Order: sequence, then C-alpha cells, then structure tokens
Amino acid sequence: MKVVLENVTKRFPNRDKKIKTEVTAVNNVSFTIPDGKLIGLLGPSGCGKSTTLFMICGLHKITEGKIFFGEDDVTNLSPENRGVGLVFQNYALYPHMTVKQNIMFPMENFKGEDKLTKEQMLERTMQVAKLVQLDGLLERKPSELSGGQQQRVAIARALVKMPRVLLLDEPLSNLDARLRLQTREEIRRIQRETKITTVFVTHDQEEAMSISDEIVVMKDGVVQQMGVPQTVYQDPANLFVAKFLGTPPINVFTGKVSGGALYIGAEKIMATPGVADQDVYVGIRPEGFVVSDNGCLTCDFRQVETMGGFMSVVSTHENSENPIIRSTVTDDIKIAEDAKTVKFDIKPNKIYIFNKETEERIRIEG
Amino acid sequence: MNDVKMETMSEKDMRRVAVRQAIVKGLVKFGVYAFLIIMALIVLFPFYWMINSSLKTLDEYRMSVPTFWPHKVMISNYASAYKTANLGKLFVNTVIVGVVSTILSLIITVLSAFAFARLEFKGKDMLFAGLLATMMIPGELFTITNYGTVTQLGWTNTYTVLIVPFLVSVFYIYLLRQNFLQIPNELYLAAKVDGTSDLKYLWRVMIPLALPTLISITILKMMGAWNSYIWPRLVANDAAHRLITNGLRNAFTETTGDVNYPVQMAAVALVSLPLFLVFVFLRKYIMQGVSRSGTKG
Amino acid sequence: MVNSKHQWKAWIYLAPAIAVLLVFTVWPIFNTVRMAFLENYSGLEATNGATFSFGVGNFVKVLKYKRFISCLKNTMILCVLTVPISTILALLIAVGLNSIKPLQKILQTIFFLPYVTNSIAIGMVFAAMFNIVGAFYGTENELIVTAGIINNVIEFFGGTPVNWINYGSQYSANIAVMTVYIVWNALPFKILVLLGGLQSINKQYYDAARVDGSSRRRIFARITVPLLSPMLAYVVITGFIGGFKEYTSIVGIFGENMGPADDAGRLNTMVGFIYDSLSTNSQGRASAAALILFGIILVVTLLNLYVSKKKVHY
Repeated sequence: MKVVLENVTKRFPNRDKKIKTEVTAVNNVSFTIPDGKLIGLLGPSGCGKSTTLFMICGLHKITEGKIFFGEDDVTNLSPENRGVGLVFQNYALYPHMTVKQNIMFPMENFKGEDKLTKEQMLERTMQVAKLVQLDGLLERKPSELSGGQQQRVAIARALVKMPRVLLLDEPLSNLDARLRLQTREEIRRIQRETKITTVFVTHDQEEAMSISDEIVVMKDGVVQQMGVPQTVYQDPANLFVAKFLGTPPINVFTGKVSGGALYIGAEKIMATPGVADQDVYVGIRPEGFVVSDNGCLTCDFRQVETMGGFMSVVSTHENSENPIIRSTVTDDIKIAEDAKTVKFDIKPNKIYIFNKETEERIRIEG
Repeated sequence: MNDVKMETMSEKDMRRVAVRQAIVKGLVKFGVYAFLIIMALIVLFPFYWMINSSLKTLDEYRMSVPTFWPHKVMISNYASAYKTANLGKLFVNTVIVGVVSTILSLIITVLSAFAFARLEFKGKDMLFAGLLATMMIPGELFTITNYGTVTQLGWTNTYTVLIVPFLVSVFYIYLLRQNFLQIPNELYLAAKVDGTSDLKYLWRVMIPLALPTLISITILKMMGAWNSYIWPRLVANDAAHRLITNGLRNAFTETTGDVNYPVQMAAVALVSLPLFLVFVFLRKYIMQGVSRSGTKG
Repeated sequence: MVNSKHQWKAWIYLAPAIAVLLVFTVWPIFNTVRMAFLENYSGLEATNGATFSFGVGNFVKVLKYKRFISCLKNTMILCVLTVPISTILALLIAVGLNSIKPLQKILQTIFFLPYVTNSIAIGMVFAAMFNIVGAFYGTENELIVTAGIINNVIEFFGGTPVNWINYGSQYSANIAVMTVYIVWNALPFKILVLLGGLQSINKQYYDAARVDGSSRRRIFARITVPLLSPMLAYVVITGFIGGFKEYTSIVGIFGENMGPADDAGRLNTMVGFIYDSLSTNSQGRASAAALILFGIILVVTLLNLYVSKKKVHY
C-alpha cells in the first residue's frame, strides 16, 4: 500500500498560552511512500519528523493537507480505523500484561471479516514471536525483559495485526550501540519478509542510510530532499542535507566563484563553467581528498589518525567553516611528521558548491 | 516469509468508516458531557436547595408545589438563624479552638518530623514504625479511655479538652517527614559547616521548602475543628464552649414541634459558607492534602 | 544522616509529641484492652472503688446484645451498598473528566464541593429534601408541616410519595436515603484520587491501544482499570474503613435519635453503639465493642489487601 502526503501542515498552539501565534511543526510536506518500501524519516530533533509520523498514524490531527493510503483518503480517520501499526520510542508495552497478552491485544480488537478465533490468534502470535525471536519469553512481563527484548515485543505487537502501514518512532534510541546495530538489521529483515510499507523515524543518519529504501530529510518542518540514500548522499540538494549526511561529516569552506572557476582563498580548485561570479560555500566529502604534492588545496597539517581500516588526515585551513578538516584516505600515505602543510587534489564528484545566501546547491554543467 | 501465512488487514470503504467514526465520536462526546453535567447538577442540587429554601417564608416553603426561586426573598431568615442558633458564640468558640490547636499542632508536628527526618537517635525506626501502626486503630478506641482521662483531669467543658487530645496527628508527622526527607541532606551538612543551629536551619530552610505541606495541614486541621462533632458533644457541650457543628444540630433538635425549615437552612448555609470561602481560595492545597490523607478532618 | 552526639536533642524535639501521644494514644490502647476484659467494667463504679474480675463477659454480652447486632447489620448494609456504588460512580466520573478538555476544571471543582461541607449541616439539607408531604409525628390534628422536594418530584412524575425518614417510615426507605447521602459525601475523595491516578497513567498506553484499534469499552476494561487498580484498591479500602466508622452522617439526617421518630436507634451503627455505651458509663462494653470494630476493620483491610494483591496489576 502506498502512502501519499499532500501539502500536509501541522500547527500547534503555542505552549506558552499567552502567546497567541501558533507554532508550525510541519510545513506543507508532500511525498509519496511507495508500496512495500521502508522509508527513513530523518532530521535533527524538532524538525517535525515524529509529528509527521503521528499524522500518518492518525494520533495527531492534520491542520491542512491530505493523507492517502492507496487511493483512500484517511485524513480524517482516527488511528483505530487506519489499520496502522506503531512502535513507540519507549515501546509503551502494557505493564500489566505478559508478552503474549501484549502481542495478542491488537488482534482481539479485530471486527467483522478480520475477526480471528482464539487458535488463530495464538498461532499468529507464535509466528510473529518466532519472527522477532521472542519464542521463549511469552509468559514474561515487560518489566522482566531487557531493552532489546522489549523493543522486539513492541515490533511484534505492531506487526501481528499485519498492518497496512508500519510506523516506527525512533525505535532504537533506547538501545545501546551494539544492540542498535543488531536490531536495525533485524528490522530490515522483518520488513523485507513481510513487505509491509514501513516508515522509520530517526535522527541518526547512519541508521536511516543503512536500512532505508529511501530517505526523507527534514528540517524545520520542511522536506529538504527525498531519495535513495546513496543518491541523496552523493547529490545533496542543499548545504543542510550535505552537512547532515555522512560520517565523518562533510568539510565546509567559504569560497568564491570568479571568472568561471572556484577559488578557496587564493587557490583555484576547479573550473565552474556557466556559474555566475558569487560567494559560495564549498563542501568536500572526507573521501574526496587525495594527498598529492601537486594538489590544488593547501592546508596546515596537524596529524594523521588511524581509525580501524582507514586513516584520516587532520588539517586546518583559514577558510574552513569547521575547526578541523578531516579527510579519509585508504592507501598508505607518507607525510612527514613535522610537515607544515599538506596538499590535496579534490575528486570532482565529491565537491559541491552552495549559494551563500540560500545555501541551495549550485550545479555545475558538464 | 515462508512459514508465516498472514494477510494484511482488509481494506474497508474508507469514506463510510470516516462518517461512522465522526458520528460515534460525536455521540460519545455528547454522552460523556451529558453524564458529567447531570452528575454535577445532582451534586450541586443540595446546595441550591439549601440556598433556595433558606430565602423562603415558612408558608412558601410549605407549599405543596415547590418554587424554584422564592417569591419573596427573606434575607431576614439569616438574621433569625444567627440568633436562634447563637451562631456568633459558636463561630468564636470554633475559631478559638481551630486557631490555637492548629498553631500548637504545627509546632509539634514540625519538631517531630524534623527529628525523624534529620536527627539520629537510638530506636528511631522502631519508634516511627510504632507510631505508624497506631494509625490503623479506629479513633473510637482511644475516645473511650480519653473520655475518662479528661474527666479525671477536670478538663470537661473547657477549651483545653477540645484542643490538647488531638494536637498530635501521626499522619501529619508522617506527611511532613516525607517532605523533609526530600530536601537534600547536603543542605543540612552545609548549614552545619557554616555553624547554623538546628532550629535556625529548620526555620530558615526546611519550613519554607515544606510550606505547601504545612498549608495543607493547616487547612485540614481548621476544617477538622469546623466539622468535629462527636468529641465536643461528649466533653464540652455547655453553651460557653460548644462548637459550631454541635450547636447547629442542637439548635434545631432541641426545639420541639414546628420546625422552621427556612431558618434552619439559613443556619446551615451560614455554617457552610466559611468552608466554601476557604475552598474557593485554597482549593489547590486542600486537594493536595486530601488526596494523600483519605480522611475527613 | 548526621550522627549527632547529642541524642538527647532529638528527644527534646520529640518530647511534646510523645507526651501527648503517651497520654492520649498509647495509654488508651492498653487501658481499652484492660477495660474490655474486666467484667461489667464501669468508669463511675471504678472511681467509687469497685473492683472487677477478669473475663471475656463483655464480648459475650455485646455479641448477644440485640442492639449491637442491629448496629452491626446497619453498618454492614451501608458499607456493602455505598462502597461499590460510590466507587463505580467515582470511576465513571473520573474517566469522563479525564477525557474532556473544556469545562474540565469547573466540573472537577463542582465534584469536589461535597468534600468541604459539614456532614451534619448538609445532612440537615438532605433531611429536608427527603421529608414527607404530610404529618410529621403521626399524631392526629397535627399540622401538615413540610414539603420535601424529592417527594414533590416523585409526585410530579405521577408516583406516590414515599415516607423516607419520618414517623412510620420503612427501614428500606431509611437505608435508601442514607445510601444516597453517604455516596454523595464519599464521591469527592474517590474522584480526586482516581482522577489523580488516571492523569499519571502514561498517555502512550492509550495511543498504543487506539492504534491497535481498541474500542473505548475495551480500553476502559483492559487498560484503564488494570492500570488504575492500585488506586482503586486504595479507594475501596479507605471506603470500607470509613464505612465501618459511619456515624455523623446518620446524625445529620436523623438527629441523635439515630432513626425515625417512632423507632429511635433503628439506624444506629457500631460507632453509635460505642458512644451510647460510653454515655451510660459502661466502659467495659464500649471497649469490647471498639475492639470488635477494630478487629472487623483489620480483617476487611487484610482481606482487601489479599484480594488486591491477586488482582492489582504490577
């Protein structure tokens, strides 16, 4: 089932009741979630991603715009009538019910043609429990489970009714790093197996990039860019998206375009045919640097750090927006330890320029 | 998914579902409000009827078809109620007993709660547990002996007998001790380092921080004096020391024969008024105190 | 905790409280037990130098006493009627209040109003409301004295007026009036506690249940009530304890007669029995009755705790 958001806007009354103006949490958001895909809703906290999720779910009313499930307009439908499954950030497992009762609870609400017999419910519970690997824990209460187990119960509870859309609100944020990695693989596997259209909200770009079919990057209630993770990473629409995606983060410089070429400081970096003269931000991915004696960008050398499989060269530049420039290089490189400067060549597909005012991407022809 | 044969939920006619949902929602909302408002009116009715009746002439009150607002508003009922029940004296007595017992009770409660919360002495936990255990015993069990005790002390028909036996409430000590315990011990240690005396620390730090609890205790204690009936009737039922509740009940049962209900209702309204005023202005503290106490007065 | 070298300091702080407690709480416990086990103990005779032998006669007598049995019955009936009714009503009102936004504060205040009343004073209002249209004392040539609004309403709807509380009234009618009044009086505290409990339930459980498509009734039965069960247990236990100590509300409506004019003492309760015994200087009997009351309260409380341990969730 595809999910369509059409000019969706959400305004909240101001928390300080004396202020009459409303706060716009989500502003004119439109995108389409293709059937059977896993979509990552990504952005810094307060960007409106959770609000968007709750609107898809039906727990938040929509101020303006429309939401469609398939061809059905569900804008004014309450959550119980939408056939969605939701995994809460802190799971919201019913503390007075066992794991089994928690998982069975949604099915007991089925009406009409969906109604199941007790045996069918039990069978389904067992299947889902197996799917999320909870088989042995069915008689426990949530308080007797670890964080990761609780998380899986929450997923099982959302999955068991085979929702038309599965919604996950920062489901991994309460887990420790190792468990997070493991669980996100599991979510990916479960989603692939069930083929349920899934929306996954997170502020962790790595998490979103690693499991999503497509990501939607949001900021201040506005969608910045949507697409396949790798495409968005390689072709960011604006400076925010470029900065938000990637670890280590992108290196940003102030520069200017003059006479058809890009300059950082006095050094000419590359030709920019067709771009008007202006001040720009220059973003260079860490993997876009190549150490070279004849390099076009000269930085003040600080040190070389070895991080597991790759090395990173740490340097500074007076035009850099970041305090240090971090470039990753896989090969063994030789830089004298007492070197004052280091010169880089820049891979052309790893450098982006952005308008200084709008921070929008300036595309270079050719 | 090989071994899992499941189908996603059936799709319904969304438009019909939406309409049905809106209707159900509206009906439920209407039902909830209707229920609450009807219940609220039932709860309020006795108050309304009290005011309404208190303003009627006796003849109008006796009409077999009741009037919902008096034809002739008899403010004078209140004057005669005041006189009949000798409310002035009753008010004064109750206020004296209420204020004195509240002040003394607060002092004793604060001192003991401080000792239990901050000072170290042998047998503290046992003593505290013992005190808590007495809370289970119904007050009547104490009253039987206390009645004899105060008679032997010659306290009957004095203010003392209305004040002293109830000065210590284990519950209030418990409440305040819990509140004191929430104040970080570091504050106390810091004060000790600065050479602050215990009493000064209690007065300058603990009491201001525990003020809401103290206000709750004050109000509940005052309400207790206002509503107490059994004990005062037992030990101080003379005109000079009689308290308000007792006096009210007496004033209208001692008169035999024709009861002037409007005047009686006026008296009831006058007795209820101070409680309402306290409630209106100090609702927050009352509710806070009550939700933790579970007892009236 | 500060290890004070001056332990006596703590005792000085505690001195006033301990002094009062020793005289008016600790001593009574022992003395009441003592009096209960002294045959026919009377305070008046004791001051005149009489001595009493040890025995359980007081308890035997009290339990054989018809009036005590009647008091026990009244107390039980009122408890069994008022605690469930007021708890269920309070639960419904609290859930209703918790689900609305406009008018919530004002309705909450209204529902709390009965708490800040004097139960004797408002009892008199209820008595007036439940009065009969007709003779008050049943004597001939008597004036038609009162008109009670409840009977007016009954007549308005075509029913026959009921003699609720006056001369010649039925026991069941008396109990009905007491039930209405006690429930009215008991609602505020229960609503306050239950509403507080409801508001502390994490809203996410409701969101989760709604997403799962639960009906309102199912949410109420499967989420609200179980999660509220500790508060419900608390309200029921305090309700029973209060119910077993019922006394002033009956004085409020029936006066110290504790019953209609023709049958004084018909509605007397256990506490009333204790005070009656006290006023005739039968301290032994009063003490025995008080200990029985204490025993009943203890048993009911333990029973409640046992049941709620099985039923109260987490």
